[in-house]
Amino acid sequence: MRGLIGKYIRFNLAAAMEYRVSFVIQVLGMALNNSAFIFFWLLLFDKVGDINGYGFTEVMLLWSLAAAGFGFNEVFLGNGRYLSRIIYQGELDVYLLQPVPLIPNILCSRMNVSGWGDLAYGIILFLLSQELTPLWIFLFAVSCVLAALLFSSINLFYHSLTFYMGNGENLASAAYNMVLTFATYPGTIFKGASTWIMHTLLPAALVIWIPTELILHFSLSRALFLLAGDGILVATAYLLFKGGLRRYASGNRMGTRL
Amino acid sequence: MILDIKGLNKSFKSPVKAEGLSGRVKSLIKGEYREIRAVRDLSLSVPRGEMLAFIGPNGAGKSTTIKLITGILYPDEGSISVLGMDPHRQRKALSLKIGTVFGQKSQLWYHLPASDSFSLLGSIYNMSAGETERRVAELKEIFELGDFLDQPVRKLSLGQRIRCEIAASLIHSPEILFLDEPSIGLDVVVKARIRDLIKRLNEESGITVFLTSHDAGDIEKLCRRVIVINEGTTVWDGSMKEMKYSLLNRRIIDVKLEEELNLDLPGVSILKNRPYSAKLEADLNRADMKEVMETLIRNNTIQDINVSPIPMEEVIAHIYEGRTAGEAAE
Repeated sequence: MRGLIGKYIRFNLAAAMEYRVSFVIQVLGMALNNSAFIFFWLLLFDKVGDINGYGFTEVMLLWSLAAAGFGFNEVFLGNGRYLSRIIYQGELDVYLLQPVPLIPNILCSRMNVSGWGDLAYGIILFLLSQELTPLWIFLFAVSCVLAALLFSSINLFYHSLTFYMGNGENLASAAYNMVLTFATYPGTIFKGASTWIMHTLLPAALVIWIPTELILHFSLSRALFLLAGDGILVATAYLLFKGGLRRYASGNRMGTRL
Repeated sequence: MILDIKGLNKSFKSPVKAEGLSGRVKSLIKGEYREIRAVRDLSLSVPRGEMLAFIGPNGAGKSTTIKLITGILYPDEGSISVLGMDPHRQRKALSLKIGTVFGQKSQLWYHLPASDSFSLLGSIYNMSAGETERRVAELKEIFELGDFLDQPVRKLSLGQRIRCEIAASLIHSPEILFLDEPSIGLDVVVKARIRDLIKRLNEESGITVFLTSHDAGDIEKLCRRVIVINEGTTVWDGSMKEMKYSLLNRRIIDVKLEEELNLDLPGVSILKNRPYSAKLEADLNRADMKEVMETLIRNNTIQDINVSPIPMEEVIAHIYEGRTAGEAAE
């Protein structure tokens, strides 16, 4: 499977290079779009000092982790956001006929070019705004990969609802974007029920807040709590998808692989 | 048997669309569904090396059956054994042994050359770079892909793309090839070429071919056995020869004459009668072909004559209408 993932990356890049200008515009456009938020936070912290313990540097850490984790997911596991369409248009057939693990095969087979902009932005922002100790760099790298895995699990969970309730594309897209949006705000501003939601249905806490806290103040018990939470999320998404496969109805719509 | 199916059933639930705004709101709270039985109590078996046509009208359950056999869909009831494997429990192991072409769906990357897709498929089927290279060279020669293998798939003609699709499905040298409407949208010349390639493949490698097609030519030219399916169940299972010559035992006679047709024989009906030509249909259950020909030649001055079996389309149409050999003879 490792060799196959490497090939997917190479071929997806080659496909993106078929339209070089579009590739460059998308990557730069996404990086520029993200950069605009730095000025927003700079202006805000200039007025308020800090927000529930979060200053400009901590928020930039949230941003760099969210952008890099999201970008990693879009680049290397980019097909997750199209899963509803793949299910209701009967395009799972092609993947089901191949002798490799189904979920990684689906997720890795597509790359969203703009994700390179997010990934590059997240890494550069981290390098420019944070302390570059070996521990921080290691924790940041691990957190990026875990965040990408969780973003994919969120996609898998919500898009798998398409098996059960018809087209779940809009719900899944809304959930994915909400997690990303909430992840870029300090978790300490959320109270009560919303905190529970951020740990369960829209798990921005698992994806970004707790990893950020761990980079800032590492604790083994918190890291284990995070890994347990990640495991539950990944397993729930997997089981929902596996259960849904029994309900898969396929279809005869014309289709191509992009 | 390479493929053995017993008592297969598969149903789908389809939402019933309510009329009007109030109906739509009600269906949001409590949706109504109707059950569509796509496959009903289907049983069949296929020996190794068979070229089998699996035909039927739209919605008959052909594609659903292929998807059940290949492990894409789960059956509600019944058993499926393909090469001794259960497609749902051994999906990955089975996919190494079967190849599939869905005319409507592509396994090639649209923006990349077919050669890249072949290389990627080689990795998917766990083949080494050398093995993939050797196999691609073989398929390139068989399917004559040399001129366009390195062009992006989006720039290929439909015929070239289908040749690449079939080659892609054979990259791992499968033992069974499932072809679901492989000639859809192709012109006559390309269809004939693809048929020749499939035939050559079966003869040279002994691959079992399971073909669904609406194209009577595909079925007639390629397959030795035909299974006709309608409303999810088998309505005919026999040899192509039997189907053509026994099921509807009739011949069409096109004749060009120097005068008006002069023929009156039991079992021969005149389909068209023009001043210098006629089209006749002989029912061989009631008329002897030798006698028909002799009478025709004796009573008329003939310029040209052509005798052909009933076109395949018509044979299939008759079966769809529920006519069996017995009924046709009555």
